Amino acid sequence: MSEWPEPAVDYVQAISDTKLVLGHRYAEWSLSGPSLEDDIGGASAAQEEIGHVRQLARELESQGRDLDWLNGQREPEAFSNAACLDSIEGTWTEYVASIAPADRAAWYLLDAIDRDDLDGLITKMGEDEYFHLEYHDARLETLAEDNPETVQRTLETTLPQALALIGPEAYDEDADPVFETGFTDRPIAKIRAAYIEHYRRLFDGTDVSLENVDWDQPALEDWDETRRRTGSGSISQTDVEQLRGEKNKLFTMN
Amino acid sequence: MSSARANAAESVGGGQISEFVERRRADATPFERELWDMIDEIPDPHIPVSLVEMGMIYDVEAIDGRVTVEMTYPCMGCPAYDMIQNDINSCLSLTDGVDDVDVEVVWDPVWSKDMLSEPVREKMRKSGISL
Repeated sequence: MSEWPEPAVDYVQAISDTKLVLGHRYAEWSLSGPSLEDDIGGASAAQEEIGHVRQLARELESQGRDLDWLNGQREPEAFSNAACLDSIEGTWTEYVASIAPADRAAWYLLDAIDRDDLDGLITKMGEDEYFHLEYHDARLETLAEDNPETVQRTLETTLPQALALIGPEAYDEDADPVFETGFTDRPIAKIRAAYIEHYRRLFDGTDVSLENVDWDQPALEDWDETRRRTGSGSISQTDVEQLRGEKNKLFTMN
Repeated sequence: MSSARANAAESVGGGQISEFVERRRADATPFERELWDMIDEIPDPHIPVSLVEMGMIYDVEAIDGRVTVEMTYPCMGCPAYDMIQNDINSCLSLTDGVDDVDVEVVWDPVWSKDMLSEPVREKMRKSGISL
């Protein structure tokens, strides 16, 4: 397997960590949905995200990352997940308006990867993500009718955080280091534009206004390019312990 | 999502995919065919057909006692991910002429229902699985 450019390894690490925490959040909330269908959908999405992480970990390991480290043997601040997944407080509405922007952002980053040896892997993940994203959008639309204030308030926080995962606007085709290496086929600025346009269209004509969303986030000077976020927040120590599955070792089959 | 990737699996689907698996098996040496037949006895833990019938086995190669099985999964998050690989390993490791087994998971081509032959589809329909 050929060696990736260093910025590309961090890029994939952030996608993988986002999926790892996303799978955890799906699982945590899979008994809290308003209907059995929502719970089953959440559990299924959790399983798929963990499947994606398993394969991304193999790829990252082949690029020199330690498998135990990848699987959670690190401090909370060493995770590069989308900040909107650090903790989710509130109701199922806040939950959906937190995971949906993160899942879509991770997929857009993944879909931009342009490597023949990863094409089948990403296509397969895309088959799963198609249903995740369709489901999220459908749910956001119904929640925009039922509880527009909460959706709007949550998105004003989570959309800029998901945009930070994607990267700064300044990373156009002349400045994006991952695009420059040829690892991706479109620069961050283009991914952001597609992402922002999607959510503007989704909520157009609903009671949810995205007028107060800070679409300019993250500022390049404040952005941590390894963790793909601004600020020093992180998941909790309890989250890390659960991700490691230490208390479940008794049930390990292999 | 980009439609290019979403449609990629379909664009190489149909007969091309099942032919891909058949071609790999047809190219096997007599010893490799024996190994294919042994894997064909391992049941899919979720569906009442074998791993080979499910189209999950892409290639079996034996060189000087070292066997490499190339396989895929219909579901990336398969809860039986390790169990299936262990089954293959356990099954082949006990065979005369096999010193070492390496199971390699691949995603190209992407698995689809087009991997299922008509007799396998019929078997699944009889078991109450709709396709």
